[in-house]
Amino acid sequence: MKKKSIALLTAAGMLAGIFTGCSREAENVQPAPDAQVKEETGVVNTVFSGELEHDVTIQVLENDTAVSKGYFEQLIKAFNEEYAEYGIVAVDANMNQYLDLANDGPYGYGPDVLYQANDIIMQYAEGKHIYPLPVESMECFEQIPETAWAAYRINIGETAYTCGVPVNVQAPMLYYRKDLLPKDWEQAWDENGNQIPDMVENWNAMYAYSLSRHEEDSSKYGYMKSLFDVYFSSGFLFTYGGYVFGNNNTDPSDIGFSAGEAEKGAWVLSQLAGAMNEECIDDSITTNAYSKLADGTYFATITTPDMYSTFLDEMILAYEEEGLSEAEAGAKAQENLVMTTLPKLPESGDLTQDGGNFLDAKSMGGINGYAISAYTKYPNACLAFVEFATSYEMMVNRSELLGVAPARNDAAETAGGTSQLLYDNLEAGNIVLMPSIKEVSQIWTPGETFFTDLAKDAFRPEGEKKYTDLDAMKKGLEAVDQQIYDAIFTLK
Amino acid sequence: MKEKWNKFTSAVRDSSWKVRLSAIIMGGGQFLYGSYVKGILYFLLEAGIVCYMVLRGFEDIKGFFTLGTQKGDAWLGTVGDNSVIMLLMGIFAWIVIAAFLYLYQLNIKDAYHAQKIAEAGKRPLSFKEELAQLLDKKFYITVLTLPVLGVCVFNILPIVFMILIAFTNYGGDIVPPELVDWVGTANFEKLITLSQFAPTFFKILGWNLLWAVVSTVLNYFLGLGLALLLDKDCVKGKAIWRAFPILAYAIPGFITLLAFKFMFSYGGPINQIITSAGHSAVGFLDLDAKWIARGIGVLVNCWISVPSIMLLATGHLSNRDMSLYEASRIDGAGRWKQFQKLTMPFMLFATTPVLLSQFIGNFNNFGIFYFLRGGLYVDGYFLASDTDLLINWLYNLSIDNNYYCIGAAISLVIFMITSLISLIIYVKSPSYREEDTFQ
Amino acid sequence: MRRKINAGKILDTAVTYVILLAVAFVFFFPCLWLILASFSKSGSIYSFDGFFPAQYSTASFVKLFTDTTMYNYPKWFMNTLLIAAGSCLLGTFLTILTAYTMSRFQFKMRKPMMKTTMVLGMFPSFMGMTVVYLLMTQFGLINHLGGLILIYASGAPMGYLTQKGFFDTIPKSIDEAAKIDGATNFQIFTKINLPLSKPIIVYTALTSFTWPWSDFILPKLLLKEKNLYTVAVGLMSLDETEFARFAAGSVFIAVPIVILYFCLVKNMVNGISEGAVKG
Repeated sequence: MKKKSIALLTAAGMLAGIFTGCSREAENVQPAPDAQVKEETGVVNTVFSGELEHDVTIQVLENDTAVSKGYFEQLIKAFNEEYAEYGIVAVDANMNQYLDLANDGPYGYGPDVLYQANDIIMQYAEGKHIYPLPVESMECFEQIPETAWAAYRINIGETAYTCGVPVNVQAPMLYYRKDLLPKDWEQAWDENGNQIPDMVENWNAMYAYSLSRHEEDSSKYGYMKSLFDVYFSSGFLFTYGGYVFGNNNTDPSDIGFSAGEAEKGAWVLSQLAGAMNEECIDDSITTNAYSKLADGTYFATITTPDMYSTFLDEMILAYEEEGLSEAEAGAKAQENLVMTTLPKLPESGDLTQDGGNFLDAKSMGGINGYAISAYTKYPNACLAFVEFATSYEMMVNRSELLGVAPARNDAAETAGGTSQLLYDNLEAGNIVLMPSIKEVSQIWTPGETFFTDLAKDAFRPEGEKKYTDLDAMKKGLEAVDQQIYDAIFTLK
Repeated sequence: MKEKWNKFTSAVRDSSWKVRLSAIIMGGGQFLYGSYVKGILYFLLEAGIVCYMVLRGFEDIKGFFTLGTQKGDAWLGTVGDNSVIMLLMGIFAWIVIAAFLYLYQLNIKDAYHAQKIAEAGKRPLSFKEELAQLLDKKFYITVLTLPVLGVCVFNILPIVFMILIAFTNYGGDIVPPELVDWVGTANFEKLITLSQFAPTFFKILGWNLLWAVVSTVLNYFLGLGLALLLDKDCVKGKAIWRAFPILAYAIPGFITLLAFKFMFSYGGPINQIITSAGHSAVGFLDLDAKWIARGIGVLVNCWISVPSIMLLATGHLSNRDMSLYEASRIDGAGRWKQFQKLTMPFMLFATTPVLLSQFIGNFNNFGIFYFLRGGLYVDGYFLASDTDLLINWLYNLSIDNNYYCIGAAISLVIFMITSLISLIIYVKSPSYREEDTFQ
Repeated sequence: MRRKINAGKILDTAVTYVILLAVAFVFFFPCLWLILASFSKSGSIYSFDGFFPAQYSTASFVKLFTDTTMYNYPKWFMNTLLIAAGSCLLGTFLTILTAYTMSRFQFKMRKPMMKTTMVLGMFPSFMGMTVVYLLMTQFGLINHLGGLILIYASGAPMGYLTQKGFFDTIPKSIDEAAKIDGATNFQIFTKINLPLSKPIIVYTALTSFTWPWSDFILPKLLLKEKNLYTVAVGLMSLDETEFARFAAGSVFIAVPIVILYFCLVKNMVNGISEGAVKG
């Protein structure tokens, strides 16, 4: 008995040591940037007093592309020079770009400033893990459109708070190869004579060209895309009246994938699937599009603008393989790879019809932006950083180096091209922003299942097909709505 | 029971004032009977626990019941209570108290024992002698202290925590800085009243059991067979032959799974071969491929698990008593007979725990279908696909949603079913009941 | 008569080798595919002819070890090696000791402990992850490689049943003989049973070494800084277009494990069949 007690005694002693050790730490971890309690409306002014903290280091989380393309290094270097007199140093937080602030922040392991998508940032805002910002007094305020700000606004009680600063717009873009257009496109494929090929102007021409390209050579295809991806496929539903959540994406009890005439969008997708091969059912095309567009197997695909450089690199490789020098290949790839906004959709949903009205394609998009962690000890230095990073020059730099579309009007104008197009699309309301409530995490699996089924249907033998008419598609979409509803509310 | 009580009361009456001192000042009795070091250690323990209770123990126990009263608000700079940490620290405090009570009664027993020794006129064991015993008679205490402590902190504590979580409303919107509350059995009531749950639950449970049995049996016998095959005298270069499965074993499971997923995808090499031969592509893992996907899952799981079972079986096989084989050969037993009568009973005996842990591992194999065929909800299932195991379904329902409390409640139910089954099997197995068969 | 037996033996050997070849193929082919893919020149998996790349180069390995600004593979590799070695040593030690004790000693708590550990293993492990994270924040062990070693090593004894099964098959008569000669329990363990249990030690060491290489849930939870990542977490964070790098990184994980195997293989088969006491 005695010996057992000695062993346990030492063990208990160790345990007690651990306790008393961590008791102090637990209190340290609790952030108390500003101890005074003020009225709700005064939050912003209390925290952001405008007095810069001196000699501090702030950790900034950027996305991987910005780091790998060297933009981020440029940004923090410029910032550190500018604020050298205050001793404020911004450093790379060196963490996962998708980290969860709600999980790490409270224990002191998050970054001070973070760059993430609007839906993620607003989920933090709901839990008050990030600070509301005094955006009206920021230099970029006038330049960023209201729709973009709205994505970062949250209502608590009577007051609306803005919790992030929009940086760039993400929405699906059409990528195609100029050199793979038919030789006579100016005669045969430009009905309105506006010097833009029809297939990148409307889906009917794209569909027709896809079929003819595959007919000529069975190993080649026109437009290719993995259809299961909700982010890209749901835009087709939105164009015909579908939506994610009701009341401007804020009411999760109203799910609208089947709303309006969304089934027409599903029909368009199923017709497009018919011009592809089985690879559109799973994620094969998502991953192989880069090399298959480069080797000429595919003519076009859609994905987000930040993938431009990946496509370009693949095409340069392909051209070098053909024997071109590095410089020639680079120039040729830049000439032939085109990124533009999505083609228009036929009002009837029938891709084979000639003429008729066309609708502007809507798409699901997002706005990435900066936010300041509520667990930072130096909110004013962080604000200075955000202010600096969203200045005109930095936004222009960002868009040049990363090929992304700035949310600032003046920067978008300077960048021109697709950035301008995307900005205009955003203003025109053709980019349906990803809902900023956390229930959005439940839409993916039901959506993916439906789109997979729809794509698979194109390859089922006659008689086994599930989605033969618009009614069946509507029912399928209603089932999606129901599943999402169940996923959100069953356990609530 | 009554006997014990009588023994206890007589011991109380019988005890000297020195022993009674130990009841108030721990280690006092031991000290007075001449075990100075031990007495001091006991006293330090008591002092430590008092310090702990004053410094934070009482607060932690209080926190365990309230789960926080002050909500934190980072915007206002209010430092609030973190309910989850309070629950955790509360459990800790209970454990410390329990450990203390255990040591307390040891202390009294020990003091009483010291009194008996003194009454018998013997010399108490010196501290050194007691320590020496820890390396010999009480060797198991020395050895088990560290593992038990580790298992308590990193295995038992989390489980206790999750079980308690099943009785709170933690999850969804209610995560820190929001305050969590005790809700009694509300989560379980919700589970029972949800009509959509039952059909899916039983469908998945059926497949889950089938999967676990088939995978376990297949993996086990293939691994054993492979080990026996490599054990044959006619095989030269055994180390090299064994290296192939080891190579497969050396590549992390999730990479293997991603690689296989790609191989069987529409754009993968297998379909490339099929299409270039003029057939249309096969959807091995897609929506309609219920049984094909299940079959692929079983085979891929084999590929991943067989090497480690082979490795283990090789070790065990070398422990057989070869003289028995010699004898049976003289008696004219063929190789099949030997396998049946000698190898199998021996291996089954030695590896029942392995079989069981394989069964458990397969039953709760989250990764395989998550990687191979994630992201599908199939008709007829409530938020699940036809290859999902219970653990995948649990993930869809709760973790994906952050509904920790419901997740904990469901896993508690699953846990009770599965642990009951395996406990019964284990307790009935020869390797539990007749541990010394081969000794 | 004799010739018939010989013919049977040859046939048996032939069949054995055919099966072995088939097994080797089944296990080696996917590995070979991964290895060759890592040497693919284009870096993309979709420019392959069927299963294998059209052109080869070592570019992705060079990139893996030299281009470290975004993905610091050498650092990840060393981190993982450290964690694996630490938890292998500590974990094997604890597991073997636990298993041995549970097999050889009779004490009050033994059977309840056996049943408890059996049941504990059934709890879905990812449910406990939140708690492990909370615990580690309280211990201040987030972003410490040591924290991972601690968890892996303390979790290891939970799997002692496998090793106990092995010890149960070592005859107790050896122990008793030694006891008569005056050996303490500690000596019996180190001098007699330990040498006999090399195969199971090798098995335990290999499994506990391999575990940290393939686990990514725990390191992802506890290591926030990219410099501290393990290989598995790092590979999961790779961009989807970096396939050749992914393959190269995955293949390279196998190297230390295979080396360890070849170092330990000679200890895998021995034990009592050639030992001192028989029957």
